[in-house]
Amino acid sequence: MNIIRPSAFAALLACALLATGCDKKTAGPETPISRETKSPGELRLFCWSEYVPQTVIDKFTEETGINVYVENYASNEEMLAKLQAGGALYDLVQPSEYATEMLIKEGMLLPLNKANIPNFKNLAPEFVGMGYDPQNTHSVPFMGGSVGIVYNKERIKTPVNGFGDVFVPEHAGRIVVPDDAREIVTMALDHLGLPINEINADSLAAARTVLTDWLKLVKVYDSDSPKTALLNGDVDLGIVWSGEGALILNESDKFAWVLPREGAHLFVDNLAIPKTARNKAGAEAFINFILRPEVSILISEEFPYTNPNTEARKLLSPEQLANPASFPTKEEWARLEIFHDIGGAASDIDGVVTDLRAQ
Amino acid sequence: MGYLLPGSSTPTSATPRRTPGPAGWLLLSPLLLWLGLFVVVPTLLLVILSFCSRDPDAPGRVLYAFTLENYVRAFQPTYLKILGSSLLYAFLTAILCLVMGYPVAYFIGRAPEGRRNTLLALVMIPFWTSFLIRTYAWVTILSNQGFLNGILQASGLTSAPVDFMYTPGAVVLGLVYNYLPFMILPIYGSVEKLDQSLIEAAYDLGARPWSALVEVILPLTRPGIVAGFFLVFVPSIAMFAITTLMGGGAVPTVGEVIQKQFTAARHAPFGAALGTLLLLLFFAGLWATKPRREPEPID
Amino acid sequence: MELERTIPASRISPPPAPARGWPGLLRLVHLSLAGWTWAVFAFFYIPILLLAVYSFNDSKLNIVWQGFTTKWYGLLFENRVLLEAFRNSLIIGAVTTLAATALGTAGAWILHRYRYPFAGWIGLLIFIPMVIPEVLMGVSLLSLFSSLGVPRGFVTVIIAHVTFCFPFVLIGVQARLDGIDPFLEEAAMDLGATPWQAFRLVILPYLLPAVVAGALMAFTLSLDEYIVTLFTTGSQSQTLPLKVYGMAKVGLNPQINALSTLFVAATILLVISGELIKKARSR
Repeated sequence: MNIIRPSAFAALLACALLATGCDKKTAGPETPISRETKSPGELRLFCWSEYVPQTVIDKFTEETGINVYVENYASNEEMLAKLQAGGALYDLVQPSEYATEMLIKEGMLLPLNKANIPNFKNLAPEFVGMGYDPQNTHSVPFMGGSVGIVYNKERIKTPVNGFGDVFVPEHAGRIVVPDDAREIVTMALDHLGLPINEINADSLAAARTVLTDWLKLVKVYDSDSPKTALLNGDVDLGIVWSGEGALILNESDKFAWVLPREGAHLFVDNLAIPKTARNKAGAEAFINFILRPEVSILISEEFPYTNPNTEARKLLSPEQLANPASFPTKEEWARLEIFHDIGGAASDIDGVVTDLRAQ
Repeated sequence: MGYLLPGSSTPTSATPRRTPGPAGWLLLSPLLLWLGLFVVVPTLLLVILSFCSRDPDAPGRVLYAFTLENYVRAFQPTYLKILGSSLLYAFLTAILCLVMGYPVAYFIGRAPEGRRNTLLALVMIPFWTSFLIRTYAWVTILSNQGFLNGILQASGLTSAPVDFMYTPGAVVLGLVYNYLPFMILPIYGSVEKLDQSLIEAAYDLGARPWSALVEVILPLTRPGIVAGFFLVFVPSIAMFAITTLMGGGAVPTVGEVIQKQFTAARHAPFGAALGTLLLLLFFAGLWATKPRREPEPID
Repeated sequence: MELERTIPASRISPPPAPARGWPGLLRLVHLSLAGWTWAVFAFFYIPILLLAVYSFNDSKLNIVWQGFTTKWYGLLFENRVLLEAFRNSLIIGAVTTLAATALGTAGAWILHRYRYPFAGWIGLLIFIPMVIPEVLMGVSLLSLFSSLGVPRGFVTVIIAHVTFCFPFVLIGVQARLDGIDPFLEEAAMDLGATPWQAFRLVILPYLLPAVVAGALMAFTLSLDEYIVTLFTTGSQSQTLPLKVYGMAKVGLNPQINALSTLFVAATILLVISGELIKKARSR
């Protein structure tokens, strides 16, 4: 039988507890909810995990003296859940295009004071006034990107130009697609030439017929890191986000990027100020700061998505600009389409894809 | 299985279990309070949610209008199939963990006294790394161009890469790897208290190691085995990060389907209904396997 | 005491085998147990070893080996955000472990000691946090906290973690309690101990192996929890898993490998030096 004695484990716990004690200054205010903080020195940023580089945040704090507290989420819906639950008041959120539309519809965003965001003029015209917020009254694009095809040139010898070329029987068990029902159904709708934002029983049935054949061929469903399966050689081609595609191209020249000829989803992640914000001025200052070309390129360096900032693009290296996944051509751009809020149909889409996957 | 329920723990006639007085209730109150506030209340919220409908205009919002629709949908063959395969994976994982983990727990439990805690800590420490990182370490071992395929090809055993990743086998491996400690630790708790003299007596009486194991050791460590089985089986039912990362997510698991209802599918009530069903199913299983009170054999 | 029952007479009756057989066989059993244990340890540690090797990989994507570097360790020590998240994880893990172990151990003992009405129901409730998918727990705790007006932060995360960790402790300790000599406590109290003293001096030491095992499990579970944390945390209490999961999209930064390597190496060193100190003392 053991007698109580300080085991190594207890010692470890003690160390951890000591660590609590030695850094008092960061144990700051615990997101006070009722107390109005008058100090302009605080900005609560609620953003996608790892999407806003720390260097950018540090630079902003250095310049303005505003302390930025970052909280992360991994999906638009998690963000909505926490935003609606209240409890913590965020000054700035980072919704994708359809979520921005939803937030505006629900009246959960504050209108922006453009006078505080002079750098708005740096945005490329194609990123201004997009369908989800036609006047940009409530949101400013942060980064854009699309869905596209990546394939291993050494192993795929037939030409791949669209979704129809990916999902052929010869590629069975060699395909990765996003683990995302709406993206999957959108591929089928694009392939059929049907509108991707009008989901009804007919279009869903048509998509289902196509996907019944397609999903049988899929080996991996992965939205977070499809590059892993591709670079490891476990799959030879797949549908990936453009930023992911750009990383793959940077890592290995065995791969090629194709923007599907049928068209594809264009996503835009935005910065917006929720109704509950307490530091609107700080939030607008942050948005304006992000729109500075020299700041914007810091984001591009970490995340090779489509930078919406014309002035920033001038500062990017030729290699960065030449990455076909990061920067689609004019002609390719015309094939891209954003998502709109489809309301309850999201659940129908999920039902169809779950059903097909479970076959 | 229901063996673990406190009410049903082996009722030896001599156990001086008291009827709780005020002190007994006072002692129980922290546990009751915790369970009430952080388990019962959230679970009730969930059950209520499972009978709610969605606002047709804003599906993110829940309407408190009673409906059975979510449960009707949950009984569709697709979801039953998904539930079935999740249970199968969890069961397989628990059995494999038991077979692999029992000897380890036994060895640690019988090790010199001072070394036991060290060995125990060494079982757990690998899991103080980040889950994603150690899972990706497995990917580098199992992938098409991974270490295992490299060894196999270099030794001439195979000529072309074998697909280890994104197979059911990879899922089971990932599950066993991550849950094995949760089998070893509780069994250790039971093995550690085994009375060595009892085992020696069995040998003295001529028992072979095998019959000593089956007749003495296993019955005496049964509480640990049951506990370990639960600690592995139960959490792995709804686990899905491993299934998607190592299995490629070809067949969705119940945990993943529920998660999606709260994210992309935006149908929280349906997710809640699936969760409630999972709970009910679990309790039914627990109840069905609960040992009925049988007369204790005379010692 | 129970030998009559557990070893049927038929197994005892055959005469002992040749003298060299038994000890030899027992030795063999012991050796194969040891061999199996070390094999399982290898199974545990091979991926960890690989993870450590990749902390020296000169590729940001952490997928293909591209050459040796130590730069990730340097970058890690400059990465204030990552270190702070790691520290938060340790704090939350430590407090959770203490609370869950106390709650689980005391709960198991009290449920064993007294015959409560509805004990079976309480036993069922204890399983709920283990059965319920993390997202349901996260969402329901989120709505509970926000309806109570509790601001999200360390407190809410720790409450959530304790809730899903303590059943692991409780069930492990319960298994240990099963078959405990019912007169152990009586005997202590006959010798003049109060019930508290009896618990502290007799019962707790008896339970200790299961308590240590439970604490280890609680710490491990808390350290790695992602989804429940996501829904209950605030901006001041971002944990390491929250950071790491977000990174997968841009490539799991080898800094995480470096951090995991350092932490595992440090704890192993601590454990082994503890062992050595013990050995030195006992000499």
